[in-house]
Amino acid sequence: MSDGSFLRVRAIAKKEIVEFSRDWRTIIAIIVIPLLMFPLLFILFPVLLESEAAELDALELSIVVQTDGMPENLAENLSLSGMNYTVELLPNLTHLSEPGLDIERVRGSSTDAILRIESNEDVWGYAIIHMSTSERSNEARSRILNVLSEWEDSEIRERIEQGGMDVNTTLDPLRWDGEIAAGDVATSGEQSGMILSMFIPLVLAIWTYSSAIQPSIDMTAGERERGTLEALLSLPCTRMELLLGKWLAVASITGVGVLLQIFGLLFAIGYLASSNFIGVPQLSIVSISLIIVSIMLFAIMVVAFELALAMRSHSVKEAGSILAPALMLILFPALFTQLINLDGIEGFWFAIPVVNILLALRELLMNRVITEHVIIWAISSVVYASLAAYYASRQFNREDIVTSLS
Amino acid sequence: MPKSLLSIQEVSKNFDEIEALHEINLEIYSGEIVGLVGSNGAGKTTLLRLMAGVYKPSKGSVNLSNGESVTTMRHELGVVPESTGLYSRLTAWENIRYHSRMHGIPDKVSWARTEKFAELLDMKESLSRHTKGFSRGMRQKTALLRALAHGPNILLLDEPTAGLDITSARTVRAMVRQLRDEGGTVVYSTHQLAEAQQVCDRIVIMHNGEIRADGSPAKLLSDTDTESLEEAYVSLTLDQARTRQEDNDKESAFSGWWRRLSTPRTPATTREVMEDE
Repeated sequence: MSDGSFLRVRAIAKKEIVEFSRDWRTIIAIIVIPLLMFPLLFILFPVLLESEAAELDALELSIVVQTDGMPENLAENLSLSGMNYTVELLPNLTHLSEPGLDIERVRGSSTDAILRIESNEDVWGYAIIHMSTSERSNEARSRILNVLSEWEDSEIRERIEQGGMDVNTTLDPLRWDGEIAAGDVATSGEQSGMILSMFIPLVLAIWTYSSAIQPSIDMTAGERERGTLEALLSLPCTRMELLLGKWLAVASITGVGVLLQIFGLLFAIGYLASSNFIGVPQLSIVSISLIIVSIMLFAIMVVAFELALAMRSHSVKEAGSILAPALMLILFPALFTQLINLDGIEGFWFAIPVVNILLALRELLMNRVITEHVIIWAISSVVYASLAAYYASRQFNREDIVTSLS
Repeated sequence: MPKSLLSIQEVSKNFDEIEALHEINLEIYSGEIVGLVGSNGAGKTTLLRLMAGVYKPSKGSVNLSNGESVTTMRHELGVVPESTGLYSRLTAWENIRYHSRMHGIPDKVSWARTEKFAELLDMKESLSRHTKGFSRGMRQKTALLRALAHGPNILLLDEPTAGLDITSARTVRAMVRQLRDEGGTVVYSTHQLAEAQQVCDRIVIMHNGEIRADGSPAKLLSDTDTESLEEAYVSLTLDQARTRQEDNDKESAFSGWWRRLSTPRTPATTREVMEDE
């Protein structure tokens, strides 16, 4: 590339980035959302769940127990579970689970749930009438089930003892000896890599594609719609320089978004690691370098492909209606890739578009550098990225891109 | 004899089956204002785009005086398209600087030229403003400044006064004449005969992709034996004008079928209109 050509490509990329970043909504979409997404998901979301659970625990619930004679220790346990209950006689029903006339009492919230329990010689029959769409009713059902489970345990132990058998050996004849985690030869770093490999490639692929949509459209179909392309095409720059400049701008914007998202993810992982939820993955320098190379190749392909599709479109609306559904081309392979077993995987998987990079990321996050696989995904990715770039250059060379709907 | 700056020889331009321009021969000489006059669809914009190197001719050549194709010598040209093509999130000066940098002109050189012409167009105070809020006239003036900032030999203007108020149109026309007086060369497309007569040294009448006449206003009158340019124009363009060719974008068979299917039939009678209501 000559000096003049380099300067023009740089001028195009710089102008595109400056213009794009002058829209505050873009800054939010590119910087704030990627940065906050994972911390919100991994830190704030569990905190919210905990506070919701605590709120539910504090609820005072009222239930009705319909029985022909409730066991004494069950009544005690019910009293201790934070539920007020009234006892009624069992209605005459074929099965206890038929709501019968009680349907309106639960639906109308006059009671949170109804426990029906009857003795049948050595076996007790029970049913809980509740409404699954009500949080109070669900909570009441959950607490009743806990109480019943505890009562059932004590009943089992009592009956085993009455039969003259040892409770522990009867209920637990097979036991793990020692610490369960001690039997796993994988290091905590490898385990973390395994967990992260289940979702990081997916998130990276989807985010790379989706964060490139808006700038790709703005810089191609947007220019076409606004009528700015004709003036640009009359400048002394080649269509290839134009494509390169725009590609550089979109890739930079997308790269910033993805990097910030990874930063947010690492922050969240660091937070979770401090609470022993997940460890930090152990990656070699080679793995880290190959991860960067694979993401770059993927970005080259995706951005070129999106620029080409957007350039074909006459308007922002048309480009949006093509690029948004095209996300499926990334989403389905990405989801499918999560199901592929990496142990003994055949080499051809690493030559399939999109799947190859996602599998590579999965392997590398587990610190597995298999030369044969690396060669296949690197060569195939270079081929796909080149094909995407060639397709994009063909679109940029079309004469009709100068015409706009306006 | 003035020097030829741009030579268009035997140029035809096809868009698929449609011939937008047919065997055009035209020489643009140094220091003249050439008006391309014609109705919508005559081929003015297509010809300007060929001159600007945006389109490639299907047949023939568009070369500069040194024999080089315009596509390799675009810095010789300053182009103002009909849409002006300004970026709304950039200031007027940033728009101008962007194009100048693409021409390889240092910022201080383009600033000096911009400042000089901005004074003439009363745009100096607006150079630091974002073009988003600009009126049509201000946009046109900014596009003109942008086209002049790198010091082109030929200025190509596509309908530069379309949609402008009277004052802005006068300013633009005065600017064009001043450029000519300073030795510049301008190709000026318009569908207003009166404007062409007022501004241009030479008028090229285009119709259905062909050049029907080329000469000074006086020559056109004598050649057509008419008393006004309007009469001359009418006598030269008696056959029915076609619609704009570039707008006939390619549409896939499925897109066409779906568009027709989802478009209700236009009512033919008042009764049908009332029934639709």
